[in-house]
Amino acid sequence: MNSERPVQQYFSPYTFNGGTVLAVAGEDFSVIAADTRLSQGFAIHTRDSSKDVQTLCGKTNSTVLGCAGFHGDCLTLTKLITARLQMYEHEHGSKMSCPAIAQMLSTVLYYRRFFPYYTYNILAGLDNEGKGCVFSFDPVGSYERETYRAGGSASALLQPLLDNQIGFKNQQGATEVPLTKDKAVFLVKDVFTAAAERDIYTGDAVIISVITKDGVTEEAFPLRRD
Amino acid sequence: MFLTRSEYDRGVNTFSPEGRLFQVEYAIEAIKLGSTAIGIQTSEGVVLAVEKRITSPLMEPASVEKIVEIDSHVGCAMSGLIADSRTMVDKARVEAQNHWFTYNEQMSVESVTQAVSTLRLSLEMTTAEKELCRPFGVALLFGGVDVKGPQLYHLDPSGTFFQYDAKAIGSGSEGAQQALEEVYHKSMTLREACKSSLTILKQVMEEKLNATNVELGTATPDKKFRMFTKEEIETLYKRSNNYNSVQTNRNTLWHLVFIK
Repeated sequence: MNSERPVQQYFSPYTFNGGTVLAVAGEDFSVIAADTRLSQGFAIHTRDSSKDVQTLCGKTNSTVLGCAGFHGDCLTLTKLITARLQMYEHEHGSKMSCPAIAQMLSTVLYYRRFFPYYTYNILAGLDNEGKGCVFSFDPVGSYERETYRAGGSASALLQPLLDNQIGFKNQQGATEVPLTKDKAVFLVKDVFTAAAERDIYTGDAVIISVITKDGVTEEAFPLRRD
Repeated sequence: MFLTRSEYDRGVNTFSPEGRLFQVEYAIEAIKLGSTAIGIQTSEGVVLAVEKRITSPLMEPASVEKIVEIDSHVGCAMSGLIADSRTMVDKARVEAQNHWFTYNEQMSVESVTQAVSTLRLSLEMTTAEKELCRPFGVALLFGGVDVKGPQLYHLDPSGTFFQYDAKAIGSGSEGAQQALEEVYHKSMTLREACKSSLTILKQVMEEKLNATNVELGTATPDKKFRMFTKEEIETLYKRSNNYNSVQTNRNTLWHLVFIK
Protein backbone atom coordinates (compact mmCIF):
# COMPACT_ATOMS: atom_id res chain seq x y z
CA MET A 1 0.00 0.00 0.00
CA ASN A 2 2.78 2.33 0.94
CA SER A 3 4.51 1.56 -2.31
CA GLU A 4 1.92 3.69 -4.15
CA ARG A 5 3.55 6.98 -4.71
CA PRO A 6 1.97 10.13 -6.08
CA VAL A 7 2.06 10.17 -9.86
CA GLN A 8 2.25 13.45 -11.67
CA GLN A 9 -0.08 13.66 -14.65
CA TYR A 10 0.91 15.58 -17.73
CA PHE A 11 -1.17 17.32 -20.33
CA SER A 12 0.67 18.36 -23.42
CA PRO A 13 -1.62 20.41 -25.59
CA TYR A 14 0.92 21.15 -28.30
CA THR A 15 2.81 19.18 -30.93
CA PHE A 16 5.15 20.42 -33.60
CA ASN A 17 4.15 19.51 -37.14
CA GLY A 18 6.93 21.32 -38.94
CA GLY A 19 6.50 23.39 -42.05
CA THR A 20 8.32 26.44 -43.35
CA VAL A 21 6.86 29.66 -44.66
CA LEU A 22 8.60 32.46 -46.50
CA ALA A 23 7.48 35.79 -47.92
CA VAL A 24 9.11 38.49 -50.00
CA ALA A 25 7.75 41.95 -50.78
CA GLY A 26 8.56 43.74 -54.03
CA GLU A 27 7.62 47.16 -55.34
CA ASP A 28 4.16 46.22 -56.67
CA PHE A 29 3.94 42.52 -55.80
CA SER A 30 4.62 40.08 -53.01
CA VAL A 31 5.49 36.40 -52.99
CA ILE A 32 4.63 33.95 -50.24
CA ALA A 33 5.58 30.28 -50.17
CA ALA A 34 5.19 27.28 -47.87
CA ASP A 35 6.11 23.61 -48.12
CA THR A 36 3.41 20.93 -48.02
CA ARG A 37 4.97 18.38 -45.64
CA LEU A 38 3.07 17.67 -42.43
CA SER A 39 5.12 15.62 -39.99
CA GLN A 40 5.42 14.62 -36.35
CA GLY A 41 8.76 13.36 -35.06
CA PHE A 42 10.20 11.01 -37.68
CA ALA A 43 6.80 10.31 -39.23
CA ILE A 44 5.28 12.11 -42.18
CA HIS A 45 1.49 12.46 -41.91
CA THR A 46 0.96 13.85 -45.38
CA ARG A 47 3.04 15.14 -48.26
CA ASP A 48 0.20 17.27 -49.56
CA SER A 49 -0.91 19.61 -46.80
CA SER A 50 -2.14 22.67 -48.65
CA LYS A 51 -3.33 24.22 -45.41
CA ASP A 52 -0.03 25.97 -44.88
CA VAL A 53 -0.93 28.79 -47.18
CA GLN A 54 -4.46 30.08 -47.16
CA THR A 55 -5.75 32.70 -49.51
CA LEU A 56 -7.69 35.06 -47.29
CA CYS A 57 -9.40 37.44 -49.67
CA GLY A 58 -10.91 37.19 -53.12
CA LYS A 59 -9.85 38.84 -56.35
CA THR A 60 -9.41 42.40 -55.08
CA ASN A 61 -7.15 43.36 -52.22
CA SER A 62 -5.68 39.89 -51.92
CA THR A 63 -3.80 38.86 -48.83
CA VAL A 64 -2.31 35.44 -48.13
CA LEU A 65 -1.45 34.04 -44.70
CA GLY A 66 1.29 31.49 -44.21
CA CYS A 67 0.99 29.45 -41.05
CA ALA A 68 3.41 26.85 -39.60
CA GLY A 69 3.85 25.11 -36.25
CA PHE A 70 1.08 23.08 -34.61
CA HIS A 71 -1.32 22.09 -37.38
CA GLY A 72 -4.42 22.11 -35.16
CA ASP A 73 -3.77 25.70 -34.15
CA CYS A 74 -3.03 26.63 -37.78
CA LEU A 75 -6.42 25.27 -38.84
CA THR A 76 -8.32 27.02 -36.06
CA LEU A 77 -6.49 30.31 -36.53
CA THR A 78 -6.98 30.46 -40.30
CA LYS A 79 -10.64 29.55 -39.87
CA LEU A 80 -11.06 32.27 -37.27
CA ILE A 81 -9.32 34.87 -39.45
CA THR A 82 -11.46 33.89 -42.46
CA ALA A 83 -14.60 34.34 -40.36
CA ARG A 84 -13.40 37.70 -39.06
CA LEU A 85 -12.72 38.88 -42.63
CA GLN A 86 -16.26 37.96 -43.63
CA MET A 87 -17.67 39.77 -40.58
CA TYR A 88 -15.64 42.86 -41.37
CA GLU A 89 -16.92 42.87 -44.92
CA HIS A 90 -20.51 42.65 -43.71
CA GLU A 91 -20.04 45.33 -41.07
CA HIS A 92 -18.02 47.86 -43.01
CA GLY A 93 -18.93 47.13 -46.62
CA SER A 94 -15.37 46.71 -47.88
CA LYS A 95 -12.63 44.11 -47.91
CA MET A 96 -9.93 44.34 -45.25
CA SER A 97 -6.60 45.75 -46.34
CA CYS A 98 -3.43 43.77 -45.66
CA PRO A 99 -2.21 46.17 -42.90
CA ALA A 100 -5.63 45.93 -41.21
CA ILE A 101 -5.52 42.12 -41.30
CA ALA A 102 -2.02 42.30 -39.80
CA GLN A 103 -3.21 44.41 -36.87
CA MET A 104 -6.20 42.14 -36.35
CA LEU A 105 -4.06 39.00 -36.42
CA SER A 106 -1.79 40.61 -33.83
CA THR A 107 -4.69 41.28 -31.44
CA VAL A 108 -6.17 37.83 -32.07
CA LEU A 109 -2.81 36.28 -31.14
CA TYR A 110 -2.29 38.51 -28.13
CA TYR A 111 -5.72 37.67 -26.70
CA ARG A 112 -4.28 34.16 -26.29
CA ARG A 113 -1.24 35.56 -24.50
CA PHE A 114 -1.29 32.87 -21.75
CA PHE A 115 -2.37 29.89 -23.87
CA PRO A 116 -1.00 30.90 -27.25
CA TYR A 117 -1.67 29.51 -30.69
CA TYR A 118 1.52 27.59 -31.46
CA THR A 119 1.83 29.12 -34.91
CA TYR A 120 4.44 31.07 -36.82
CA ASN A 121 2.57 33.47 -39.07
CA ILE A 122 3.63 35.46 -42.08
CA LEU A 123 1.23 37.63 -43.99
CA ALA A 124 1.78 38.86 -47.55
CA GLY A 125 -0.26 41.18 -49.74
CA LEU A 126 -0.42 44.70 -51.06
CA ASP A 127 -0.78 47.80 -48.88
CA ASN A 128 -3.18 50.71 -49.39
CA GLU A 129 -0.79 52.32 -51.90
CA GLY A 130 -0.50 49.09 -53.93
CA LYS A 131 3.04 48.37 -52.71
CA GLY A 132 4.01 44.83 -51.79
CA CYS A 133 3.97 44.19 -48.05
CA VAL A 134 5.01 41.39 -45.73
CA PHE A 135 4.20 41.17 -42.02
CA SER A 136 5.88 38.67 -39.71
CA PHE A 137 4.51 37.62 -36.33
CA ASP A 138 5.66 35.79 -33.25
CA PRO A 139 3.19 33.36 -31.62
CA VAL A 140 1.88 36.02 -29.19
CA GLY A 141 1.27 38.81 -31.67
CA SER A 142 4.41 40.92 -31.84
CA TYR A 143 4.59 41.97 -35.48
CA GLU A 144 6.62 44.00 -37.90
CA ARG A 145 6.43 45.02 -41.55
CA GLU A 146 9.43 43.75 -43.47
CA THR A 147 10.59 43.22 -47.06
CA TYR A 148 11.38 39.52 -46.59
CA ARG A 149 11.02 36.96 -43.82
CA ALA A 150 11.22 33.21 -43.27
CA GLY A 151 9.25 31.51 -40.50
CA GLY A 152 8.69 28.04 -39.06
CA SER A 153 10.88 24.96 -39.09
CA ALA A 154 13.69 25.96 -41.48
CA SER A 155 13.54 29.69 -40.79
CA ALA A 156 17.03 29.70 -39.29
CA LEU A 157 18.38 28.18 -42.50
CA LEU A 158 16.50 30.47 -44.88
CA GLN A 159 16.80 33.84 -43.17
CA PRO A 160 20.59 34.30 -43.61
CA LEU A 161 20.26 33.26 -47.26
CA LEU A 162 17.58 35.91 -47.79
CA ASP A 163 19.67 38.47 -45.91
CA ASN A 164 22.43 37.82 -48.39
CA GLN A 165 20.43 37.53 -51.61
CA ILE A 166 17.67 40.10 -51.08
CA GLY A 167 19.06 42.35 -48.36
CA PHE A 168 22.60 42.28 -49.87
CA LYS A 169 23.96 41.80 -46.35
CA ASN A 170 27.40 40.31 -45.59
CA GLN A 171 28.68 40.97 -49.10
CA GLN A 172 31.52 43.17 -50.18
CA GLY A 173 30.97 45.62 -53.00
CA ALA A 174 27.50 44.34 -53.80
CA THR A 175 25.33 46.43 -56.10
CA GLU A 176 21.79 46.60 -54.77
CA VAL A 177 19.38 45.95 -57.60
CA PRO A 178 15.61 46.06 -56.99
CA LEU A 179 13.96 42.66 -56.86
CA THR A 180 11.82 41.56 -59.81
CA LYS A 181 8.92 39.15 -59.57
CA ASP A 182 10.69 36.43 -61.59
CA LYS A 183 13.88 36.78 -59.55
CA ALA A 184 11.88 36.49 -56.33
CA VAL A 185 10.10 33.28 -57.44
CA PHE A 186 13.40 31.86 -58.71
CA LEU A 187 15.05 32.64 -55.37
CA VAL A 188 12.19 31.10 -53.37
CA LYS A 189 12.56 27.81 -55.29
CA ASP A 190 16.31 27.79 -54.68
CA VAL A 191 16.19 28.48 -50.96
CA PHE A 192 13.43 25.91 -50.40
CA THR A 193 15.48 23.29 -52.27
CA ALA A 194 18.40 24.16 -50.01
CA ALA A 195 16.25 23.94 -46.86
CA ALA A 196 14.80 20.56 -47.92
CA GLU A 197 18.38 19.22 -48.06
CA ARG A 198 19.06 20.05 -44.43
CA ASP A 199 15.70 20.09 -42.60
CA ILE A 200 13.66 16.90 -42.22
CA TYR A 201 10.50 18.92 -41.51
CA THR A 202 10.66 20.69 -44.87
CA GLY A 203 10.14 18.93 -48.18
CA ASP A 204 7.79 17.19 -50.65
CA ALA A 205 6.67 20.36 -52.45
CA VAL A 206 6.49 24.10 -52.07
CA ILE A 207 3.43 26.14 -53.00
CA ILE A 208 4.31 29.62 -54.19
CA SER A 209 1.66 32.36 -54.30
CA VAL A 210 2.39 35.55 -56.20
CA ILE A 211 0.20 38.52 -55.28
CA THR A 212 -0.25 41.45 -57.65
CA LYS A 213 -3.02 43.98 -58.18
CA ASP A 214 -4.63 41.46 -60.56
CA GLY A 215 -4.97 38.79 -57.87
CA VAL A 216 -3.14 35.69 -56.67
CA THR A 217 -1.45 33.09 -58.87
CA GLU A 218 -0.41 29.80 -57.32
CA GLU A 219 2.35 27.46 -58.41
CA ALA A 220 3.60 24.16 -56.95
CA PHE A 221 7.28 23.23 -57.16
CA PRO A 222 8.53 19.73 -56.16
CA LEU A 223 11.11 19.26 -53.38
CA ARG A 224 12.98 16.20 -51.96
CA ARG A 225 10.56 13.56 -50.72
CA ASP A 226 12.89 11.70 -48.30
CA MET B 1 -51.28 62.05 -36.41
CA PHE B 2 -52.31 62.34 -32.77
CA LEU B 3 -56.00 61.71 -33.39
CA THR B 4 -55.71 57.94 -33.23
CA ARG B 5 -53.82 58.12 -29.94
CA SER B 6 -54.92 55.49 -27.45
CA GLU B 7 -53.33 53.23 -24.84
CA TYR B 8 -50.98 52.12 -27.63
CA ASP B 9 -48.89 55.26 -27.18
CA ARG B 10 -47.49 54.06 -23.84
CA GLY B 11 -45.25 51.07 -24.41
CA VAL B 12 -42.18 51.31 -26.62
CA ASN B 13 -42.55 47.71 -27.67
CA THR B 14 -46.23 47.69 -28.51
CA PHE B 15 -47.38 48.38 -32.04
CA SER B 16 -50.69 50.19 -32.53
CA PRO B 17 -53.26 48.34 -34.65
CA GLU B 18 -52.23 50.54 -37.59
CA GLY B 19 -48.70 49.27 -37.12
CA ARG B 20 -47.13 52.34 -35.54
CA LEU B 21 -44.83 52.82 -32.60
CA PHE B 22 -46.07 56.02 -31.03
CA GLN B 23 -43.21 56.48 -28.56
CA VAL B 24 -40.73 56.43 -31.42
CA GLU B 25 -42.84 58.92 -33.35
CA TYR B 26 -43.06 61.18 -30.29
CA ALA B 27 -39.29 60.95 -29.90
CA ILE B 28 -38.94 62.19 -33.46
CA GLU B 29 -41.30 65.03 -32.51
CA ALA B 30 -39.09 65.82 -29.50
CA ILE B 31 -36.24 66.64 -31.88
CA LYS B 32 -38.35 69.43 -33.33
CA LEU B 33 -38.20 71.19 -29.94
CA GLY B 34 -34.41 71.16 -29.95
CA SER B 35 -32.06 73.83 -31.22
CA THR B 36 -31.24 73.80 -34.93
CA ALA B 37 -28.21 71.93 -36.19
CA ILE B 38 -26.94 71.92 -39.78
CA GLY B 39 -24.48 69.69 -41.61
CA ILE B 40 -23.17 70.19 -45.15
CA GLN B 41 -20.97 67.75 -47.04
CA THR B 42 -18.75 69.20 -49.76
CA SER B 43 -15.94 67.66 -51.78
CA GLU B 44 -13.41 69.53 -49.59
CA GLY B 45 -14.85 68.55 -46.22
CA VAL B 46 -17.88 68.51 -43.95
CA VAL B 47 -19.16 71.42 -41.87
CA LEU B 48 -21.31 71.04 -38.77
CA ALA B 49 -23.03 74.12 -37.27
CA VAL B 50 -25.43 74.40 -34.34
CA GLU B 51 -27.30 77.13 -32.55
CA LYS B 52 -26.78 77.41 -28.80
CA ARG B 53 -29.74 78.63 -26.81
CA ILE B 54 -28.43 80.96 -24.17
CA THR B 55 -31.49 81.18 -21.93
CA SER B 56 -30.01 83.63 -19.43
CA PRO B 57 -27.28 86.27 -19.62
CA LEU B 58 -25.87 84.67 -16.46
CA MET B 59 -25.33 81.39 -18.31
CA GLU B 60 -21.82 80.49 -19.42
CA PRO B 61 -22.08 79.98 -23.21
CA ALA B 62 -18.90 77.90 -23.42
CA SER B 63 -20.51 75.22 -21.22
CA VAL B 64 -23.15 74.49 -23.86
CA GLU B 65 -21.55 71.84 -26.04
CA LYS B 66 -23.56 70.56 -28.98
CA ILE B 67 -20.78 69.56 -31.35
CA VAL B 68 -18.40 66.95 -30.02
CA GLU B 69 -15.41 65.05 -31.33
CA ILE B 70 -15.88 61.29 -31.79
CA ASP B 71 -12.42 60.54 -33.15
CA SER B 72 -9.78 62.78 -34.70
CA HIS B 73 -11.57 62.45 -38.07
CA VAL B 74 -15.25 62.45 -37.02
CA GLY B 75 -17.41 65.04 -35.28
CA CYS B 76 -21.01 64.88 -34.16
CA ALA B 77 -23.65 67.62 -33.95
CA MET B 78 -26.85 67.04 -32.01
CA SER B 79 -30.33 68.35 -31.43
CA GLY B 80 -32.99 67.33 -28.91
CA LEU B 81 -32.43 65.98 -25.41
CA ILE B 82 -28.70 66.56 -25.19
CA ALA B 83 -28.36 64.39 -22.06
CA ASP B 84 -29.54 61.39 -24.10
CA SER B 85 -26.68 61.89 -26.51
CA ARG B 86 -24.05 61.19 -23.84
CA THR B 87 -24.56 57.43 -23.98
CA MET B 88 -24.43 57.45 -27.76
CA VAL B 89 -21.41 59.72 -28.05
CA ASP B 90 -19.64 57.49 -25.55
CA LYS B 91 -20.56 54.40 -27.58
CA ALA B 92 -19.35 56.07 -30.78
CA ARG B 93 -16.02 57.02 -29.18
CA VAL B 94 -15.45 53.54 -27.76
CA GLU B 95 -16.30 51.90 -31.10
CA ALA B 96 -13.99 54.25 -33.01
CA GLN B 97 -11.08 53.54 -30.67
CA ASN B 98 -11.82 49.82 -30.70
CA HIS B 99 -11.74 49.82 -34.48
CA TRP B 100 -8.38 51.58 -34.48
CA PHE B 101 -7.07 49.15 -31.85
CA THR B 102 -8.10 46.05 -33.80
CA TYR B 103 -7.50 47.13 -37.38
CA ASN B 104 -4.97 50.00 -37.13
CA GLU B 105 -7.13 52.16 -39.38
CA GLN B 106 -9.69 54.88 -38.79
CA MET B 107 -13.31 53.80 -38.62
CA SER B 108 -15.50 54.96 -41.48
CA VAL B 109 -18.20 57.50 -40.70
CA GLU B 110 -20.86 55.05 -41.87
CA SER B 111 -19.59 52.38 -39.48
CA VAL B 112 -19.58 54.82 -36.55
CA THR B 113 -23.19 55.72 -37.33
CA GLN B 114 -24.08 52.06 -37.75
CA ALA B 115 -22.55 51.21 -34.36
CA VAL B 116 -24.57 53.92 -32.61
CA SER B 117 -27.77 52.92 -34.37
CA THR B 118 -27.55 49.39 -32.96
CA LEU B 119 -27.37 50.93 -29.48
CA ARG B 120 -30.58 52.80 -30.14
CA LEU B 121 -32.33 49.67 -31.21
CA SER B 122 -31.16 47.59 -28.26
CA LEU B 123 -32.30 50.17 -25.73
CA GLU B 124 -35.67 50.47 -27.36
CA MET B 125 -36.10 46.74 -27.18
CA THR B 126 -35.10 46.14 -23.57
CA THR B 127 -37.65 46.12 -20.79
CA ALA B 128 -37.12 45.56 -17.09
CA GLU B 129 -33.35 45.09 -16.76
CA LYS B 130 -32.15 48.33 -18.22
CA GLU B 131 -32.89 51.66 -16.64
CA LEU B 132 -33.69 53.44 -19.89
CA CYS B 133 -36.47 51.85 -21.89
CA ARG B 134 -37.62 54.66 -24.07
CA PRO B 135 -36.21 55.82 -27.38
CA PHE B 136 -33.49 58.44 -27.25
CA GLY B 137 -34.89 61.93 -27.68
CA VAL B 138 -32.01 63.18 -29.76
CA ALA B 139 -31.02 63.26 -33.43
CA LEU B 140 -27.37 63.21 -34.46
CA LEU B 141 -25.40 64.44 -37.45
CA PHE B 142 -22.11 62.59 -37.93
CA GLY B 143 -19.64 64.46 -40.10
CA GLY B 144 -16.18 63.21 -40.92
CA VAL B 145 -13.62 62.12 -43.46
CA ASP B 146 -12.69 58.54 -44.30
CA VAL B 147 -11.42 56.54 -47.29
CA LYS B 148 -14.52 57.54 -49.24
CA GLY B 149 -13.83 61.24 -48.57
CA PRO B 150 -16.00 63.69 -46.61
CA GLN B 151 -19.18 62.01 -45.32
CA LEU B 152 -22.30 63.28 -43.56
CA TYR B 153 -24.79 60.95 -41.87
CA HIS B 154 -28.05 61.69 -40.07
CA LEU B 155 -29.30 59.35 -37.34
CA ASP B 156 -32.83 59.75 -35.92
CA PRO B 157 -34.42 58.36 -32.70
CA SER B 158 -35.80 55.31 -34.52
CA GLY B 159 -32.24 54.22 -35.29
CA THR B 160 -32.64 54.84 -39.00
CA PHE B 161 -29.72 56.57 -40.67
CA PHE B 162 -29.08 58.05 -44.10
CA GLN B 163 -26.26 59.82 -45.85
CA TYR B 164 -26.94 63.42 -46.83
CA ASP B 165 -25.30 66.14 -48.91
CA ALA B 166 -26.84 68.63 -46.49
CA LYS B 167 -29.19 68.12 -43.56
CA ALA B 168 -30.85 70.28 -40.91
CA ILE B 169 -32.35 68.99 -37.65
CA GLY B 170 -34.09 70.68 -34.72
CA SER B 171 -36.75 73.37 -34.36
CA GLY B 172 -35.79 75.31 -37.49
CA SER B 173 -35.14 72.20 -39.56
CA GLU B 174 -38.02 72.61 -42.01
CA GLY B 175 -37.03 76.09 -43.14
CA ALA B 176 -33.33 75.32 -42.93
CA GLN B 177 -33.70 72.18 -45.03
CA GLN B 178 -35.53 74.18 -47.71
CA ALA B 179 -32.81 76.82 -47.62
CA LEU B 180 -30.15 74.11 -47.87
CA GLU B 181 -31.87 72.61 -50.89
CA GLU B 182 -31.69 76.04 -52.53
CA VAL B 183 -28.08 76.90 -51.78
CA TYR B 184 -26.52 73.44 -52.08
CA HIS B 185 -24.64 72.51 -55.22
CA LYS B 186 -22.15 69.72 -55.87
CA SER B 187 -19.18 72.04 -56.47
CA MET B 188 -19.66 73.96 -53.20
CA THR B 189 -16.41 74.87 -51.44
CA LEU B 190 -15.99 74.28 -47.71
CA ARG B 191 -15.73 78.02 -47.11
CA GLU B 192 -19.03 78.54 -48.96
CA ALA B 193 -20.61 75.76 -46.91
CA CYS B 194 -19.42 77.34 -43.63
CA LYS B 195 -20.85 80.70 -44.67
CA SER B 196 -24.14 79.17 -45.85
CA SER B 197 -24.54 77.22 -42.62
CA LEU B 198 -24.19 80.44 -40.60
CA THR B 199 -26.52 82.38 -42.91
CA ILE B 200 -29.17 79.70 -42.67
CA LEU B 201 -28.78 79.43 -38.89
CA LYS B 202 -29.18 83.19 -38.68
CA GLN B 203 -32.39 82.95 -40.66
CA VAL B 204 -33.96 80.30 -38.48
CA MET B 205 -32.73 81.38 -35.04
CA GLU B 206 -35.02 83.33 -32.77
CA GLU B 207 -32.19 85.21 -31.11
CA LYS B 208 -29.74 87.34 -33.04
CA LEU B 209 -26.80 85.29 -34.19
CA ASN B 210 -23.34 86.15 -32.78
CA ALA B 211 -20.06 84.36 -32.21
CA THR B 212 -21.10 83.08 -28.77
CA ASN B 213 -24.44 81.51 -29.60
CA VAL B 214 -23.30 79.28 -32.45
CA GLU B 215 -20.84 76.43 -32.66
CA LEU B 216 -19.09 75.42 -35.86
CA GLY B 217 -16.79 72.52 -36.66
CA THR B 218 -15.28 71.12 -39.84
CA ALA B 219 -13.78 67.81 -40.89
CA THR B 220 -11.29 67.92 -43.76
CA PRO B 221 -8.90 65.31 -45.18
CA ASP B 222 -5.77 67.20 -44.04
CA LYS B 223 -6.78 68.85 -40.76
CA LYS B 224 -9.25 66.12 -39.70
CA PHE B 225 -11.97 67.29 -37.31
CA ARG B 226 -11.63 70.67 -35.58
CA MET B 227 -13.85 73.22 -33.90
CA PHE B 228 -13.79 76.87 -34.95
CA THR B 229 -12.69 79.36 -32.32
CA LYS B 230 -14.88 82.30 -31.36
CA GLU B 231 -12.64 84.63 -33.40
CA GLU B 232 -12.83 82.42 -36.49
CA ILE B 233 -16.63 82.35 -36.29
CA GLU B 234 -16.63 86.13 -35.91
CA THR B 235 -14.60 86.75 -39.08
CA LEU B 236 -16.60 84.15 -40.99
CA TYR B 237 -19.81 85.77 -39.84
CA LYS B 238 -18.69 89.25 -40.86
CA ARG B 239 -17.71 88.03 -44.31
CA SER B 240 -20.98 86.19 -44.83
CA ASN B 241 -22.84 89.32 -43.66
CA ASN B 242 -21.27 91.41 -46.42
CA TYR B 243 -22.12 88.73 -48.88
CA ASN B 244 -25.66 88.65 -47.59
CA SER B 245 -26.37 92.35 -47.94
CA VAL B 246 -26.73 91.71 -51.68
CA GLN B 247 -29.49 89.23 -51.00
CA THR B 248 -31.17 91.07 -48.16
CA ASN B 249 -34.58 90.98 -49.70
CA ARG B 250 -34.67 87.24 -49.87
CA ASN B 251 -33.33 86.90 -46.35
CA THR B 252 -35.97 89.10 -44.80
CA LEU B 253 -38.54 87.09 -46.62
CA TRP B 254 -37.14 83.91 -45.11
CA HIS B 255 -37.13 85.54 -41.73
CA LEU B 256 -40.82 86.29 -41.92
CA VAL B 257 -41.60 82.72 -42.80
CA PHE B 258 -39.65 81.31 -39.87
CA ILE B 259 -40.74 83.69 -37.14
CA LYS B 260 -44.31 82.79 -37.90
